[in-house]
Amino acid sequence: MATRVVTVDRNQKPGVLPILRGLQITLANFLRSLFLRQASTVSYPEQKRPVSSRYRGIHILTEREDGTPKCVACFMCATVCPAECIYIESGERPEKTIEKYPTRFEIDLLRCVYCGFCVDACPEEAIIMSRENDLVGTTRAELIIDRDRLMARGKVVEHGPGYRPQEHDVRRPVRIAALERLKSEHGIVPGMPAPKTPRG
Amino acid sequence: MPKCTIDGKEIEVKPGTTVLQAALDNGIHLQYFCWHPDLPVDGNCRTCMIEVEKMPKLQIACNTVVAEGMVVHTKSAKAHEAQRTALEFLLINHPIDCPVCDQAGECYLQDNYMRYGLYDSKIELEEKVHKRKVVDLGPIMLDAERCVLCSRCLRFEDKVTGTNSLQFVSRGDHTSISTFDGRKIEHEYAGNLADVCPVGALLSTDFRFKMRVWFLKEHQSVCPGCSTGCNIYVDERDGSVERLRSRRNPDVNKSWLCDPGRALYKQIDVTERVSGARVRGAGGWAGVTVSEALDRVAEALKAGAASAFLATPQGTNEDLFVFKTLADSVGGKLDFRVGDPQLKVRQMLDNVLQHVDRNPNTQGCLDQALGRDGVDAILAACRAGSVKALVLQGPELLRVPEAVDAIAKVPFVAAMATHEGPELDRATVVLPASMWAEVSGTFTNYQRRVQRLDVAVPPPGDAQPRWELAAGVLSRLGKALTAASPREVFGLVARATPGYEGLDYRALAYMGVALQPPAGAGDAAQEARA
Repeated sequence: MATRVVTVDRNQKPGVLPILRGLQITLANFLRSLFLRQASTVSYPEQKRPVSSRYRGIHILTEREDGTPKCVACFMCATVCPAECIYIESGERPEKTIEKYPTRFEIDLLRCVYCGFCVDACPEEAIIMSRENDLVGTTRAELIIDRDRLMARGKVVEHGPGYRPQEHDVRRPVRIAALERLKSEHGIVPGMPAPKTPRG
Repeated sequence: MPKCTIDGKEIEVKPGTTVLQAALDNGIHLQYFCWHPDLPVDGNCRTCMIEVEKMPKLQIACNTVVAEGMVVHTKSAKAHEAQRTALEFLLINHPIDCPVCDQAGECYLQDNYMRYGLYDSKIELEEKVHKRKVVDLGPIMLDAERCVLCSRCLRFEDKVTGTNSLQFVSRGDHTSISTFDGRKIEHEYAGNLADVCPVGALLSTDFRFKMRVWFLKEHQSVCPGCSTGCNIYVDERDGSVERLRSRRNPDVNKSWLCDPGRALYKQIDVTERVSGARVRGAGGWAGVTVSEALDRVAEALKAGAASAFLATPQGTNEDLFVFKTLADSVGGKLDFRVGDPQLKVRQMLDNVLQHVDRNPNTQGCLDQALGRDGVDAILAACRAGSVKALVLQGPELLRVPEAVDAIAKVPFVAAMATHEGPELDRATVVLPASMWAEVSGTFTNYQRRVQRLDVAVPPPGDAQPRWELAAGVLSRLGKALTAASPREVFGLVARATPGYEGLDYRALAYMGVALQPPAGAGDAAQEARA
């Protein structure tokens, strides 16, 4: 997979020689893949390139131990989503300890831009992303995937989960931004005595 | 007029004004929980701490009256530290379940924490005192854990409704609010408890889990439920109204709104709305375009036959004015007093807000002198067969059992309607009319206060404001109106209506303008209120 880097001298004078040198590279690659089987292409879909552990593929709704969604329908993902592709309807759970859960949770995968903001915004780690990137459907409606399909995906994903919050502390930048705004707009530094206002 | 200095700003206030009120009125933000503009001062939350020069201790701004020469610091180190600490106390036992709390987005704790707090909590979640959650009080859901014990709800029940159904129970950090022995809240002003609650302890059962409030867009409007004309916000998302909220107007409804009024949004987005025009022919009802239906109405009126018009006190002043213009242009009989709303307009239903007259604009009808020929006289003329065309601005008359035989005698009955009903079968032409949340215009309430309402959502199908329907008929009769918007129509109303002279549509926004109260408005209403 490692790419060989060839340094190219852009100031070289044009002529037959540079063309022949270029053809030499092409020919070398051709012979290498023909006889040594060192091709840089892969035979998709039988063969897939490995992707980063933080790859942002199709979403997964995580589950509690009893198989119900971890999601509490707080709408943070729907709020932050720049593509407005998340649709949620909330309802009341029978047990009073958790109260709220999504009765409907749909993601329009054709509108989704796979930015991962929903994962960052989720306070419960209820929505994470997989490394799955192939998306096939014959109708548009098929690619609006509902709660049950988003939950079942956790089990069928072959490559394991992709982007998820424990990769880094996503709450830090938000908090730092809020503190900076507080300081610049109100002159307040929490946790420390505020600067004395001049009397007069 | 005492003068004081708050944060270096010189402020002159009316005698008796508190520092908090003076600061808020002059754009100086102070956090508060227990203070409410329409409830007595309690001073229990201690979050509005301020430093007053020459006073040895910090004061609470909500209960400190401005004195001459007072110098107040709301953002000094001492004051700020006190405000922050008081807030930290309130949050000690708070569950911080904002993700599932409907108050999130309009919560005083969230706003003030972001503004004054931003400390790291010293309390572990497991150490917090747990209280009752998800308690169903009927129209209200109680979550005692989220409560900051500000007592606003207690004071509301004590001073406004007089019902006293909530009380504090237990002591220390186990204190919580509760009704007696699992009773529910049974008065008609329960929705205000959710409004006065600064946090998510008392929430509306109707709005529960329906929508996160930051998705909602608010529109200023007036409640159409009765002649009180309470000021409201219509909260809407993507063209569907999700809830109604009270909008403060100290001269009309203060901060309150009744539950029947709050529930009125449920009439808007229903399948029983009239969304298209229809005409009855030999083979029953046939759907037509609004334009064709208006042609039919104009034709019937053009015939020169005697006609009669019945206005509706549900309509805006603009609706009424254009309707009256239409009636006058063909010389028809005119009235609006189906069910005698004019007798009930100033009669209180309870001692809080509601009036017996369930129409928002009966006073507007009276001001424009729409009660002209008498409903009984019109019905008698119908029975005698001398009325050839009857135009109804609302379906009220069709619902009156005694009028059925009279209406049956009229060969042409046009009715503007918002909702389907069996009574519409008595009409010849049905015109789809927009409801109050779908029109701009003005209502005149029982005090003779002209108040403005704005469009919040689009009407269903082909429905149009009633004034536009009437204007359509007028233009087909060759007497087109010179006004093309509610604002322009209101200009005509102001010119034509005694007492409305000089009123400007824009200047009405959004607290309304009070006119001279009607003569002989025996102040039974005012007495009942007092």
